[in-house]
Amino acid sequence: MIYVDGLSKHYADLRRGWFVALDGISFHAKPGEIFGLLGPNGAGKTTTLRILATLLRPTTGSVSVNGYDVLMQPSKVRRQIGFMSANTAIYDRMTAWEMVEYFGRLHDIGREELRQRMEDVFTRLKMNDIRDLLGAKMSTGMKQKVSIARAIIHDPPVLIFDEATAGLDVLVARALLDTVAELRDHGKCIIFSTHIMREAEKLCDQLAIVYQGRILAEGSLNELRTRYDEHDLEELFFQLISSTASEDKAEEAAAISQ
Amino acid sequence: MNWSNVKLILAREVRDQLRDRRTVFMIVVLPLLLYPLLGMSFLQILHLMQEQPTSVLIVGYEETDDAPALLENDHFAPNLFRKPGKHRLLKLHFAGIEPDEEGVSVWAAARINTAEEAREAVLDGHYDAALFFPEDFAERLGHVRSLHAEWAQHAGDKADSKGVVRRPPVLPAVPQPEIFYTTANEKSQIAFARLFDVLRRWREEISRANLIVGGLPPTAVHPFEVETSDIARETGTSGIAAWAKILPVMLLIWALTGAFYPAIDLCAGEKERGTLETLLCSPAERSQIVCGKLLTVMLFSIVTAVLNILSVGLTGWLVLARMPGFGAPPPGAALWLLLALIPISALFSALCLALAAFARSSKEGQYYLMPLLLVTMPLVILPMAPSVELTLGTSLIPITNIVLLLRSLLEGHYWLAVQYSLPVVAVTLVCCLLAIRWAVDQFNQESVLFHESERLSMGLWLQHLRRDRMPTPSVGAAVFCGVLILVVKFFMSFSVAKPNDFGDLAEILIVTQLAVILTPALLMTILFTRRPMQTLLLGRDAWRPKLLLAVPAAFLLALAINPLANAAQLMIMRLYPIDPDVLALEGLFKEAPNLGIMLLLIAVLPGICEELAFRGFILSGFRHMGYKWRAIIWSSILFGFTHIILQQQLLAALVGVVIGFIAVQTGNLLPGIAFHVTHNSLALLISKITPEMYQRSAWLQSIMEPVDGSFAYRTSALVVAAMFSIILLFWFHQLPCRKSEEEELREAIKIGGEEPWENEEPDQTEADSLTDDQRKPITIAADN
Repeated sequence: MIYVDGLSKHYADLRRGWFVALDGISFHAKPGEIFGLLGPNGAGKTTTLRILATLLRPTTGSVSVNGYDVLMQPSKVRRQIGFMSANTAIYDRMTAWEMVEYFGRLHDIGREELRQRMEDVFTRLKMNDIRDLLGAKMSTGMKQKVSIARAIIHDPPVLIFDEATAGLDVLVARALLDTVAELRDHGKCIIFSTHIMREAEKLCDQLAIVYQGRILAEGSLNELRTRYDEHDLEELFFQLISSTASEDKAEEAAAISQ
Repeated sequence: MNWSNVKLILAREVRDQLRDRRTVFMIVVLPLLLYPLLGMSFLQILHLMQEQPTSVLIVGYEETDDAPALLENDHFAPNLFRKPGKHRLLKLHFAGIEPDEEGVSVWAAARINTAEEAREAVLDGHYDAALFFPEDFAERLGHVRSLHAEWAQHAGDKADSKGVVRRPPVLPAVPQPEIFYTTANEKSQIAFARLFDVLRRWREEISRANLIVGGLPPTAVHPFEVETSDIARETGTSGIAAWAKILPVMLLIWALTGAFYPAIDLCAGEKERGTLETLLCSPAERSQIVCGKLLTVMLFSIVTAVLNILSVGLTGWLVLARMPGFGAPPPGAALWLLLALIPISALFSALCLALAAFARSSKEGQYYLMPLLLVTMPLVILPMAPSVELTLGTSLIPITNIVLLLRSLLEGHYWLAVQYSLPVVAVTLVCCLLAIRWAVDQFNQESVLFHESERLSMGLWLQHLRRDRMPTPSVGAAVFCGVLILVVKFFMSFSVAKPNDFGDLAEILIVTQLAVILTPALLMTILFTRRPMQTLLLGRDAWRPKLLLAVPAAFLLALAINPLANAAQLMIMRLYPIDPDVLALEGLFKEAPNLGIMLLLIAVLPGICEELAFRGFILSGFRHMGYKWRAIIWSSILFGFTHIILQQQLLAALVGVVIGFIAVQTGNLLPGIAFHVTHNSLALLISKITPEMYQRSAWLQSIMEPVDGSFAYRTSALVVAAMFSIILLFWFHQLPCRKSEEEELREAIKIGGEEPWENEEPDQTEADSLTDDQRKPITIAADN
């Protein structure tokens, strides 16, 4: 469903020079499973997902989503995905209904079909009481629901959630996670990035631990546990990261002493 | 283009803007209230200004008791004013008399007696002006009159008895009254004008009285009166000139303002609120998004301008029409303004949209209004100058040309407007397309869409430029270098004295080439690129044997293109005649010691320096834009601007395109230098052809003909030259041109069948029909 092969992304950065945000990462995600990208802030999760959503162009490497290349066929890729991140806000001066309808129509869904789907989605996400509420007047939880409705209205095979639970309270976050799990059960291919271990543990079928633009480890939760002989995901995560950091330091020291 | 998405985006943006109270206020409420209010307060202020009384001190009023009377009931006599009742506007105070009115505080008028004291009183601001009559003014005035009377009595009989007409008496000088006022104070100036008018009329009265006493008819000093008649007033077209100046400017300003605020909200505002990312990951293409937003901005720009003009028209019709020199707006104005509004608002909307897309936040966007105004205002104001009229030259200046066209339409010069409508429309259209292109480009740049605000630090930035320099310069560096050269050259042209002889001229030429053009380019090459030789197109791979053939080929091309360039230059000169001052400068070249030095100065030196700068550093930078031709054209435009006068600039830009093409195709600077040196030398040599040389050489006669004292190529020579040029250009075209990474990427995407911002109907089957080979993901080389 999603194939990422040797993906790198470089930015020009005043302080650090050419900043390597992604350093040749590869993974693939299948339908009906949730692929988790787990990593600290600045690890490169958002960059990866923005490239998947064709918002950024890869520097090297190839990415294909449902058979379409992000660089060559960006508009086709965008039809395959529902993208939701902390940055994909909703319009202040639009009601929930108008907002979802707008994106549905951008996806070329016929009027009658769109209406049916919207009724369905609004009922499923329990949004019927905020139909005519303007975005500016909504609570964070309501906004989040509208965002999800917006991302799934065209019934995309691939869903991308980038730190989707950031800034949500426990109840709203839990509702969101339930929705994501439900979407997986409908056979969607889901990519879910987070820095919260509990979420990753609960939700993800496959996990990739990302740090400094590289994937340190990849596999199902159980595979990782057996491979590193550590049951607690948080401990496992720390071990991986601290060993990489010390390796880096050793390399730097070696480079300086030369 | 899939218009349904554009319509969808347009509908949403319009609804969004209409739900914003600020926008509605700016666009609808403000114009409807503003002008009536402005008109009202303007009239009131005008009224106030005219009706304000001024206080005048009169010293020596006793000296004016004579007939005809200057004073009447403590005021100037009402018959000394053109309009009745105006005599009350000059409030008089009399020196030496205490004011008898209760509560009137007049500064010690009683204590003033001399001219010096009166002067001081005005200077200190106690009175707006003072009128001083010297002692015995009345007495001597009376003396003059009695002399007149005496002469009139005796004139008849003396002339009769002796047959000689007695000469009129030599009149003694009357001491002059004096007005004290100060131009440092506006009220004082008004008082002066009123006083002066009163005294003038009084003097006329006195002279009339004297003439009557002297037995002469008063018409002796007024043999005739001049009658004026304003045809415009009779035909009801008065004020059209003023309207024709005001309305176009107003239209432009409001079209710009109306475009600016929605554009900021639609781009920078969306970026700030985070909804842009939502929109960008929807299937709407970038071009559709830009188009939808552009149409929204345009709509608001048009509505703002229309409402403002309507309101102005209405106010003007009701209020200003009552003022002298102003009539109702000309008929048909609405139609012309509306017609012109569409291209104007399209241009401004695209400009604003591109600027707004560049801004990170609405606040940053607001800052861009000032630079935008600074650039457009001179173009809007220029046509206000009385001597600027619609000509072929001015019709090629964007924005200015629309204002001028509108003005001639409003003034009713339809034939003039029709004549120049084609260039005006063409130039405006090109500008619109460029601006839209720029806006779309902004939306395709991820650095623009996602750049986070970073603290500005000059040191860090310079460090970054040096440390993270690429093999060849960036587009930004190229633009900077070009602009730096232009700015330094501009300041140099002011700081250097006008050359008097050839030595001065040579010095200026050498300094310009070496210090202004070559040095910045070389310094920037060394400091900010990793591969200086590659940047300047002098790298090792530039010396492949086949490419060395390009040097003679470029030389031949310069020979072949020279007749065409010459013809183009003649045409340009005919369009824009050269200023005689500049021609005088060219005369200095005649003082050159010999041809060799001239060639060195005019051909070889610029050939090398300008090539290193413009085809070396700047073109290499522009190649990173990803479009070969765009790079060539932009570098040529900068190259054109480094020339001093417009006539040279146009030709140089054209030649720059040819040299740029050669440089890109060969990847080597030498052919370009060969072309440039040959081209400049030929231009010089042709100017050296004398009639004698022409007479002697049959060969010259076969290709050239004398035109207006110089020589131009014959048409047959032009045709042959054009053919050879095409052949040689084709030879350059088939050379294996080395593409930049960005150009390769663009091409790869194009071959992939879908440009990121070009729309395609969603078509599943097409994607499926791609062969595996086509679908193979492309890999682009890393930056370093």
